[in-house]
Amino acid sequence: MTGPVREQWERTLGLVRGRRVDRDLEAELDAHIELAIEDNLRRGMSQEEAHRQAARQFGSRLSASEQAGDQRGFPALESFLKDLAYAVRGMRRNPGFTAVAVAMLALGIGINTTVFTVMNAILFRGFPLVERNDRILYLTTGSNCCVSWPDFRDWRSQAKSFEGMELVHGVTLTFTDENGFPERYDATEVTSGTFRLVGQTPILGRDFALADETPGARPVAILSYGLWERRFGKDPAVIGRTVRMNAAVTTVIGVMPQGFTFPQKQDLWVPLIPTPEVRKRENRATWFVFGRMAEGVTVESARAEMETIGRRLGEAYPLTNRGRNLIPHVLNFGEFFIGPNATLIYKAMWGAVGFVLLIACANLANLTLARAMGRSREISLRIALGAGRWRIVRQLLIESILLSGMGACLGWWLAKWGVRALAPNGSAISDATPGDWFANVLGYSMDYRVLAYFIAISIGTGLLFGLAPALRLSKLDFNSVLKDGGLGATGGKRGKRLSTVLVIGEMALAIVLLSGAGVMIHSFLNAYGGNLGFRPDNILTALINLPTARYPQVEAQTSFFDRLKTRLEAIPGVESVAIAKQVPGWDTALLPYELDGARSASVAGSAAEDDERHHPMLSALVIGPGYFHTLGASLLSGREFNDFDGALAVPAVIVNQRFADRHWPHQNPLGQRLRLFKDAAPEAWLTVVGVAPNIAQNDSARQERDLLVYLPYLQRPSGDMWVMARTRVPPGAIANSFRREVQALDPQLPVSLGPIPLTERAAPSYRYRGFTAALFLIFAAIALGLASVGLYAVVAHSVSRRTQEIGIRMAIGATARDIRRLVLSQGVFPVGIGLVVGLLASLAVNRVLKSGLIQVSPADPLTLGLASVTLILAAVVGCLIPANRATRVDPIVALRHD
Amino acid sequence: MPGSKLDLLQGTLDLMVLQTLESMGPQHGYGLARRIEQSSGDEVLLNQGTIYASLVRLQQRSWIAAEWGISETNRRAKYYSITRAGRKQLAEETLNWKRLAAVIGRVLAPATRGTK
Repeated sequence: MTGPVREQWERTLGLVRGRRVDRDLEAELDAHIELAIEDNLRRGMSQEEAHRQAARQFGSRLSASEQAGDQRGFPALESFLKDLAYAVRGMRRNPGFTAVAVAMLALGIGINTTVFTVMNAILFRGFPLVERNDRILYLTTGSNCCVSWPDFRDWRSQAKSFEGMELVHGVTLTFTDENGFPERYDATEVTSGTFRLVGQTPILGRDFALADETPGARPVAILSYGLWERRFGKDPAVIGRTVRMNAAVTTVIGVMPQGFTFPQKQDLWVPLIPTPEVRKRENRATWFVFGRMAEGVTVESARAEMETIGRRLGEAYPLTNRGRNLIPHVLNFGEFFIGPNATLIYKAMWGAVGFVLLIACANLANLTLARAMGRSREISLRIALGAGRWRIVRQLLIESILLSGMGACLGWWLAKWGVRALAPNGSAISDATPGDWFANVLGYSMDYRVLAYFIAISIGTGLLFGLAPALRLSKLDFNSVLKDGGLGATGGKRGKRLSTVLVIGEMALAIVLLSGAGVMIHSFLNAYGGNLGFRPDNILTALINLPTARYPQVEAQTSFFDRLKTRLEAIPGVESVAIAKQVPGWDTALLPYELDGARSASVAGSAAEDDERHHPMLSALVIGPGYFHTLGASLLSGREFNDFDGALAVPAVIVNQRFADRHWPHQNPLGQRLRLFKDAAPEAWLTVVGVAPNIAQNDSARQERDLLVYLPYLQRPSGDMWVMARTRVPPGAIANSFRREVQALDPQLPVSLGPIPLTERAAPSYRYRGFTAALFLIFAAIALGLASVGLYAVVAHSVSRRTQEIGIRMAIGATARDIRRLVLSQGVFPVGIGLVVGLLASLAVNRVLKSGLIQVSPADPLTLGLASVTLILAAVVGCLIPANRATRVDPIVALRHD
Repeated sequence: MPGSKLDLLQGTLDLMVLQTLESMGPQHGYGLARRIEQSSGDEVLLNQGTIYASLVRLQQRSWIAAEWGISETNRRAKYYSITRAGRKQLAEETLNWKRLAAVIGRVLAPATRGTK
């Protein structure tokens, strides 16, 4: 082994050998000088001249032995280790400072990593086991619905931005195996290329083939790993077995990998069969399309292309497109599943925790600066003794990075804990109402992206808070420091200016966060505190889906619900029972309508509602008799539907207050007529029989209620209804009796959803919104706390430096009040400027949040005012503590204070 | 500055040490320093002390070996001699150096003509 490799090895050995080699070198250098002297003497120099020349020719003895010494071992490493040891000693001398610094950093780094982890799962990673999730786009029209099979075929054949496109549709299936035990499962109807598009193949059996989706093909299904495990005990022989799904004999052909779920959480997949009904262009059910972007295509260009195609189709098929806005929406994962504001809210949250970290940095910069100023004598001495300024900067940076490293270790641990606390609600950080299945699908593991982010912020933090004081100190005028025996006059002033700027920054950041959190909370309160129009407590609710195979007749369906109602009302503790197509708060159908008489259709509806359609839209909800009574809402006028509003009676409708106010502000709404359109064809006229209060429907979080009409169940019967029971006892208590009554009527019929209390069904959207607001509030509170600690530290430091001055003032008669005012006045300037800067900044920042706010202006004066008051209070507390301490200064002691 | 020394390309001093040892046989540090000063016309070594870092490095790379011995004036001194690996390295480096010098010469030649 020779050459450079050998050199590294020898250097490493040199690290260990150290001293012995040094003595050897010293002896050699001595010999060199002696040899030179002898040589010089031989050439006839005088003794003195010979010595002088030898020394001159040799040069610096010290640097020669240092250079040679540096060749042994790794000089950079050694001096780094020396600096590190020095930093550790410094930290141990100052455990209080170290603890505070590490705690602040851990907090800042911890919550940043937590938020990033959750954000990573939702914004960047998406579904597990889906290949290149970021290249998959979701296409719908309307609000997450409404694509017809022919639309999809046209899109797929015309769009060039996509490598592939598939159509999917969530359904619920009743699954019965040979044991005859029925269970309902969530299934997804998919076109045959779905799994290929997401890049997965079954671990057992085969994928869907084109032949499986031809009408009349033998029904097949692919199971999810979870279902295979639960229901079949991972039996490989399940392939080829037949089961009954909605009574159809179906063959199991495959099992998907563990953890795979797409495009939502489901138990199994079946092929989407284009029956004649499905092939109708006007049949726009709740399907959606997803596609994989081709190479080099951006979301924007894909969106532009799809809009062009949508417009072209609209012109090509004017009849089936009438009254509908069928321009395709092209959405990414987050936008589709978490709502259009997902990106905004996550980024806002990321920004918020970023601010918290910045405040922590500013605090630490201040503390480090104060501490370093205290060490300015030592540092000046080192500079005077020849330490390079870079060496000083490096020393200080090593200290701060060491601190941030310790903070990071603690922060990582904190983040792990935080992710555990946040993950179940991770998908909840949104203003949409995501399905409950969503939370269990995503992986919140801390992957390489999280690790990279974590390492970057940890090091970045150390550099950020260490650099300013380090550069500041390295510019110290060491002459004046050493001469004055204290701080150089200029150094002290400049250091103070820097720390004031830092405090101003902290205050500004805190006020931005406070006001941001404030408007979010205000918006949440608007949503939650809004009058719902009914009493949601003590209502038990359940969804019943009557299978059409066994309840083909309308009469069978209505009679089932009629008998169920009678049976449920007989349960002790149940007051009344009603059915409805949907529970309050949730989405209902949007339909075009027109009023009788005055052609008010053209004036009705806002521009947005009306846009290019011929008729304005309303929300319609089918309800059974006694609906309002059961909800605890009383009609404003007219009557409820009753058992006589059947097929033979005059078609009736109940409108909500908003509808009545909009169309008949000065007339009696009762007896007025309106009609709805189905596929552009008008239906029979409906006569208004009642006016209901505004009850939340569709977006429950929105304060402004939709135009909503109620239609009688007996005139629009259906086999899929929600049953609601008002109870005198806690609703959960009769859930079992409820289920028993359903079983008594039809032992094979499972309850599709519930029975659960209505408050739980309606709660998610509130819970989610509240959760987001609460998180922002927590972040703002942490920021406020940090900022006032920062102010406290700066004021306290200046008080301790002015002890002597305060002592003199007291000695010549200043009262405690004067002293307190003197100290408080120090805080006024940074807080005042910070407040102004922060308020201005928050006006700009809050505008970004605008689309996520409900009935709150981003510049809400109440919120901004409250945020300012909170900040001032916190600042006063931060200043008062050192101020009070200052008043207790003993003049005698203070004057002796050095 | 008339007295300024030639800026040494990294490794040049090492090469000179190897060459001196190759042509003159084992030498002590002072002898090497004097010899390099004389042959380079005092233009290379900043001062004699600089040579020791080079000597340590060459030893670490096993291109020279060191041994304590007695000088002609009966003084204890450390003698350096070139090793087999050192000779190989010297041959390689000499070749490199000549090639480099030729290239530099070619590159600089037209410029000199141009400025005339």
